[in-house]
Amino acid sequence: MTEKWKITLHVYRQKENEAPHFDNFTLEVNPDEYVLDAVERAWAFHDRTICFRHACHHSTCGACGMRVNGVEKLTCITSIRDVTHNGATLQVEPLRNFPVVSDLAVDMGSLYRKMETVGGRAVLPVTEAEIEKPPSKWEADDSQYIRLSDCIECGLCISACPVAATTPEYLGPAPLAAAQDQGLKRKPELLSIVDSEDGVWRCHSAFECTAVCPSFVDPARRIMNLRTQVVDMRLRKLFGKA
Amino acid sequence: MDQTRHQPSAGKFWSWFIPVGRQAGGWAFALNRVTAIGLTFYLFLHLAVLSLLAQGPGSYDKFLALTENPFIKFGEWAVVAAVFLHGLNGIRIILTSFGVGVTRQKQLFYGFMIVAVFVILIFTARMY
Amino acid sequence: MSQSTSSSYISAPRPGETTWIWLIKIATGPLLILVLILHLIVNHYVGSLPTGLMTYEDVVRYYQNPIIPAIEILFLILVVTHSLIGLRGIILDMNPSRQVLRAVTWFLSLLGVFSVAYGIWLALAIASKGG
Repeated sequence: MTEKWKITLHVYRQKENEAPHFDNFTLEVNPDEYVLDAVERAWAFHDRTICFRHACHHSTCGACGMRVNGVEKLTCITSIRDVTHNGATLQVEPLRNFPVVSDLAVDMGSLYRKMETVGGRAVLPVTEAEIEKPPSKWEADDSQYIRLSDCIECGLCISACPVAATTPEYLGPAPLAAAQDQGLKRKPELLSIVDSEDGVWRCHSAFECTAVCPSFVDPARRIMNLRTQVVDMRLRKLFGKA
Repeated sequence: MDQTRHQPSAGKFWSWFIPVGRQAGGWAFALNRVTAIGLTFYLFLHLAVLSLLAQGPGSYDKFLALTENPFIKFGEWAVVAAVFLHGLNGIRIILTSFGVGVTRQKQLFYGFMIVAVFVILIFTARMY
Repeated sequence: MSQSTSSSYISAPRPGETTWIWLIKIATGPLLILVLILHLIVNHYVGSLPTGLMTYEDVVRYYQNPIIPAIEILFLILVVTHSLIGLRGIILDMNPSRQVLRAVTWFLSLLGVFSVAYGIWLALAIASKGG
């Protein structure tokens, strides 16, 4: 017999030319279902005007990022049991630091443009990917094996970043992580992009990005590593690549 | 697009200090910034007050009498506390910026803050 | 790659917090910690005076040793540099316009130079009051 909970879904609503407000929906849910399922149920059976994004439902596409009880989560893999309890409220809001298009859907264009600018790679040879337990030495032909990049461009990191909150110009954790992934040695033209006022030095080591990333990108570590790459390259240039 | 670039946004300044939905690192950032501002203010105050030294024994010793005021005493305590919090947090930033301890930055922060609290308690006892 | 879209989107490096400024800030940080510890110990636990420097005469006598004003001046230069660079970083997070940023940079630089000059004058003035 599956467990049944009664929860109140507290949903952020904002349509064009209207003031933002919250709507409440009382739902009966299975607590081992996911927050995305609850939002879908509210949409299907209560209010067809709720606007939200979802696609793969298995943390690969990055479409369903939202703030659940104020914290950035990928709602397709966030089980209801983890974020609320029977009889309680579940608050769902759109991501921060992106313009809201409608209700829970935000305009992710700025993120995609930045990823394109740094040339973020969606697929890379496994010899260049920072995997958890690499062999002590790669064989010469191991680079034929390719791997999807960890970053699913869901935008949770940018929503959580306190610096991204101050300006949309800041490159942000995901693009900086993608630049690090490329590497300044491989693509030296990235240096002037990341060593700029809106680039790597804007990070203030809050580490909020890594805390919310659902895909093991660890953008904070990558930004720190990118810093050492930038310092390294600048020192080399100063001393004439000695 | 160019007109919307770099719109001055002093108002969003306050969002740094409102750690809604934030975790250890976000707290660390806010704390570091608050102590930085406080210490900068103290620095210039301190420099100004020291000019009294140049005016001779009379004015300086008179000023020293003022510092017995409990308000000032609290301020002095706050400055030393801020120095430890800011300094230890700064060490954490330097370590992580050069790749040390990045996977354990949360523990680094908590560890350093415990050290800071410990040190602050010690010098508070000595001060009073 | 479409260079035109990228260059119109990403700012050309303007004098925000660049590599060198950041390096100076984090280099002065640990140096400050060292000199600060020195500064606190000597000001509060100096040798024969268990309570440290408590009066005008104590301070003047103390400044007769030339090492002391030297350390204090070093401390001043380090702390003014670190604090003003940091302050500029905070202001950068408010997205000032180009003109405002230039004015802020000028103001902070002048403030820094003036503070250090004033501090050096003060240290030497106090040292000369004794003997």
